[in-house]
Amino acid sequence: MTKKTLATLICSVLFAANVQAKASDPYESFNRSMYDFNSSVDDYIAAPLANGYKFITPSVVQTGVFNFFNNLKGVNVVLNDVLQAKFSQSVADLGRFTLNSTAGLVGIIDVAQYAGLEQSDEDFDQTLAVWGVPQGSYLVLPLVGPMTIRSAPASAFDSAANPASYASVGLYYVSAPIQFMAALNARANAEGALKFINEVALDKYVFTRESFLQWRKNLENDGKVSGSIDDDLMMVEEKIGSGLNLRLSDYKQFETAAKSFGYVVQKFDLAAKNFEQASHKIEHLKPR
Amino acid sequence: MQFKKLAIVAFSLSNLFLTSVFAQEESTSAFAQEESTSARQIVDKFQTELVQVMKNGKKLGYSGRFDKLETSVSNSHDLPKIARIVVGKEWEKLTEEQQKKLTDVFSKLSIASYAHNFKDFDGEAFVIDSEEETKMGGVVIHSHLDLPDDKPVKFDYMLKEKGVSWRIINIIANGVSDLALKRSEYTAILQRDGFDALITKINEKIDNYAKQ
Repeated sequence: MTKKTLATLICSVLFAANVQAKASDPYESFNRSMYDFNSSVDDYIAAPLANGYKFITPSVVQTGVFNFFNNLKGVNVVLNDVLQAKFSQSVADLGRFTLNSTAGLVGIIDVAQYAGLEQSDEDFDQTLAVWGVPQGSYLVLPLVGPMTIRSAPASAFDSAANPASYASVGLYYVSAPIQFMAALNARANAEGALKFINEVALDKYVFTRESFLQWRKNLENDGKVSGSIDDDLMMVEEKIGSGLNLRLSDYKQFETAAKSFGYVVQKFDLAAKNFEQASHKIEHLKPR
Repeated sequence: MQFKKLAIVAFSLSNLFLTSVFAQEESTSAFAQEESTSARQIVDKFQTELVQVMKNGKKLGYSGRFDKLETSVSNSHDLPKIARIVVGKEWEKLTEEQQKKLTDVFSKLSIASYAHNFKDFDGEAFVIDSEEETKMGGVVIHSHLDLPDDKPVKFDYMLKEKGVSWRIINIIANGVSDLALKRSEYTAILQRDGFDALITKINEKIDNYAKQ
């Protein structure tokens, strides 16, 4: 057995032991570093830009910008409707996209809502869930935010199916403002959620993680809550001290994952340290 | 874009923050309405009282809303049970005095959160959709909150029988379970920072709600 193999094995065993305690978030150390890094970027770069945008832009224009980018997601929604065999929903969503793209002046006005066409929320991560791919562990990626092992690659599909992504193949002076506006619009619309988290969370990282994972699960289940109700009732009925039994299946799943990802975690830790340093540097940029 | 949807859930969560209330008050109020009450009636009464507080929100002020909601919440939720569940196995490790302290501040935080978030009325309306019995002896009341300029927010109330009546033990808003979310947060802080740090954090939140 080579040193490298032994080191990987030890790392995997140690990691597996840690997984027992942190089954829901085996990469918490890495994720927290990323969360802090993203928060720093948000505090000093994204939030000031988004606040400036909201300050100088009339709300009717903000709504138009939101509607425009939101409508472009319609292509991806229709594709994923079909991939999940939701054919009648795909017809409604195609109608919604067509109506907004024409009568709604390339999506700037959401006329479909007045026609009673509800917007569906589908993406490739949900499609993978329908196809039986497990969600995998929670991940926080730099500049991207909360994800899972499954949703990270799935987001590449979503980007490929969003016309806004192809602005980047055009002339730079055309594509850059479009990409910038898309990012600004996304951040401006996240303001309420971020404010809420700041207001209520005792531990912002845990609050964000749990609400994100539950929200994704709810999308997968198309809003049906029966499964989570059973889980919650078990939690209520659980006798104090026997909680680990409830999570035995999760533990086994994560133990397997730990063996596969043990080596990757080492790399993650190295990356985390780099991002920590970057975060400190951003901190120094703060005006004194 | 993910945070756009999170914002909707966030709004939902601002409506729940259920609670426990002081043990003595809870037992008093429980006896006060000892007639047999169905799970649906409990939820309906709670939602009606909540909307009343919203309608009079500005006139009542923060402290007035707090007083009204303290009664409403304690009469509809299984308060000691919620407080125990949100700290999970850590409850056993706490002394009796700490358990009482935790129940006390957690209750204040929950009521303060309601008083802060339900301060005015813009035409919102709760609607009960259906009722479901669970395999584990509970009842789930499926309802939603109609908002004037936005999509409705789903509220699923989970209740357990207590004496001759029922009590809310969890609210699931747009698929996000308040009980599960709080439990993750509270146990993480207890294990990492200890009991005193948790109490300090809760008290800070209560103070912030009272100031805003």
